[in-house]
Amino acid sequence: MNQTAHALEVHDISKSYATVQAVDHLSFAVWKGEIFGLLGPNGAGKTTSIRVILDIIKPNSGHISVLGGPMTEAKKSRIGYLPEERGLYDDMTLLDTLLFMGQLKGLDRHLAQKRAETYLKQVDLWDVRDRKIEALSRGMRQKAQFVAGTMHEPDLIIIDEPFTGLDPVNKRIIKRLLVQMRDRGAAIIMSTHQMHQVEEMCQRILLIDHGRRVLYGPLDDIRQRFATNAVEVDLDGELDEAPGVRRLIPRDGGYRLLLEEGVEPEQVLRALVNMPEITVERFERVTTSLDEIFVRVVQDVHEGERGGPASASAGEEVLE
Amino acid sequence: MRKTWLMAWTTYRRRIRSTTFLLLTFGLPLLMVIAGAIPVLTALRGELPHVGYVDRTGQLAAVARVSIEGETLTLTPYADTDAAREAFARGEIAGYLIIPTGYLDGAEGGEATFYGEQEPGVRLGEGLKRFMRQAMLPQAPPALLDRLDDPSAITYVARETGETVVEGPALVVRVVTPAVLAVLIMLAIFTSASQMGSAIVREKDQRSMEMIITSLSPRELVTGKVLGMTLLSLTQVGVWVVGASAAIGLALLGLLEPQDLSIPWRAVLWGALLGVPGYFLYAVIAAGLGVIAGDRQQARQLAGMLGFIGLGPLYFAGILVNNLDSPLAVALTLFPLTAPTISLLRMTLAEVPTWQLFASLGVLIASLAASIWFVARIFRAAMLMFGQSLRPRQIWRALRQA
Repeated sequence: MNQTAHALEVHDISKSYATVQAVDHLSFAVWKGEIFGLLGPNGAGKTTSIRVILDIIKPNSGHISVLGGPMTEAKKSRIGYLPEERGLYDDMTLLDTLLFMGQLKGLDRHLAQKRAETYLKQVDLWDVRDRKIEALSRGMRQKAQFVAGTMHEPDLIIIDEPFTGLDPVNKRIIKRLLVQMRDRGAAIIMSTHQMHQVEEMCQRILLIDHGRRVLYGPLDDIRQRFATNAVEVDLDGELDEAPGVRRLIPRDGGYRLLLEEGVEPEQVLRALVNMPEITVERFERVTTSLDEIFVRVVQDVHEGERGGPASASAGEEVLE
Repeated sequence: MRKTWLMAWTTYRRRIRSTTFLLLTFGLPLLMVIAGAIPVLTALRGELPHVGYVDRTGQLAAVARVSIEGETLTLTPYADTDAAREAFARGEIAGYLIIPTGYLDGAEGGEATFYGEQEPGVRLGEGLKRFMRQAMLPQAPPALLDRLDDPSAITYVARETGETVVEGPALVVRVVTPAVLAVLIMLAIFTSASQMGSAIVREKDQRSMEMIITSLSPRELVTGKVLGMTLLSLTQVGVWVVGASAAIGLALLGLLEPQDLSIPWRAVLWGALLGVPGYFLYAVIAAGLGVIAGDRQQARQLAGMLGFIGLGPLYFAGILVNNLDSPLAVALTLFPLTAPTISLLRMTLAEVPTWQLFASLGVLIASLAASIWFVARIFRAAMLMFGQSLRPRQIWRALRQA
């Protein structure tokens, strides 16, 4: 990964609408050549943050550095954006739409034509290039919008829910294109609720809630931090207790073993293998999914705000 | 500027193919041509008939036939009305003319009356007039009769400009052209400029704004859209002008020689100079109203109010006709929303001082620049408010923030 500089730096931005604090002193950075996950529950302030970054709306305070400095009109051609609320001109043909969008992003007509052909072929839409947008299926429109927002091969791509409305085959196509763009050196900010996509594609994430940063850093570090010290085993035989295990929870054909603090799974495995009354058929470390981390952190934050017992994970986590 | 033109061209291309535009653009002049052509074609239809006449003066010469443009009108004299009526009832004649006793004295009630199956049409009317002249002046040579057909065809020559205008249809064309231009501008404003607001609301509804606005500035977007609509309207007006010319040409067929036609170029020039930015101003304001409006219905209501202002010249027409140089006339000439139409309407009946026209153009361009600035600024605040209208406080905040 080419992590030589930040493509985006957000410093302490805040934005409020009347009585609502949409973004509250938010700071983060995105590297060139990474896919960055921007997560948060509905109404957390993700879209407002994106719009502030893109200079669509002005922040009340704070500042942003995009591609090495403040946003300018010229830089708009180096940015690709796919908002959640998407729409193309229904009465235009697909090819005309792409030529228009490509030229708006600074491509000359010839290059826009060439890129449109290349990308439409990659997303299997070349055969319907002369169809009007209104005649395309939802999935086709989704792919068309993706091409329209990225065909100028931008340095910074901000994409809101890229996989909504796509079947597994088309999801794979879009994922492949995103990875291609990342490998080319583009910074990609992906805002989505599909946690498995984030786990699969993102190197680092930012979780915000109520406009505030609650979790930020490399995904692996976050998962490690939230990892449960537990293993799952399938056994031939009965198990009542085991060394280093503080609790034993029976499951279908096996057990979930919650380990004592400081005990490594390898130690437990060795102990189980040495027990003659049982045979270990499967042994697996329990990992915490991002989905679980998301729910846990958001619930903790909300309980903390209501004055309830917040867990140790609540609040801001910075793991840069 | 490149992105502005791209936006303008795309807006133009998208709209010029729409069914509404095609119907409005080509349907209207087609109707005008049909309306202009039907009476002419009706009048020209068929050959000149055989008619009768009753000369109660007893002083007219007997005329059996007269020639009109190579065709002959045959006439049969009858001793009295009953005889003529019976011949008409038997179908021997297509109608009959009664020339009363006091006809030659110019006495009241001394006008001649023609009884026929239907209206006689232009050519029969010309034929009957030629018959009357020939019957009154049986010794007159044909050239004199021709001159009597149109005794007052005077050519007017203006010493200052050297412009010549032949009396008759040419003079009518000369006089009404500015008024026609004013009506065309008003039509253009009503049919497309005021639709700009709905177009902006539709764009908001289609959710295409957010993606586009990250590619060009609000000013480029607004200017491009309005420019596209203006080009569209110019195309529309162009088609209408051709259609109207064709209709008028048909209506005046045979009455006006092309070399007699006099175009009031000063009015045409000022019509273009004031009409294009005037249209542009309406379109920008309509776009601004579309930005402020929450939905298409509200946009249409606001556009209706704008159209109400655009009709301003008509409300003041009575006052203006009485005094074309009144302070009100001058004020409406300088007011940007009425400048193009009022200037042209004043030109229909009198000379408008050149300084007023230049001042009007200056005010119009300044207003246009200010309105683009204003609309571009509120645009940013409103474009993401799907289905919501912009409140005055939000407008004020948007202007201050920008």
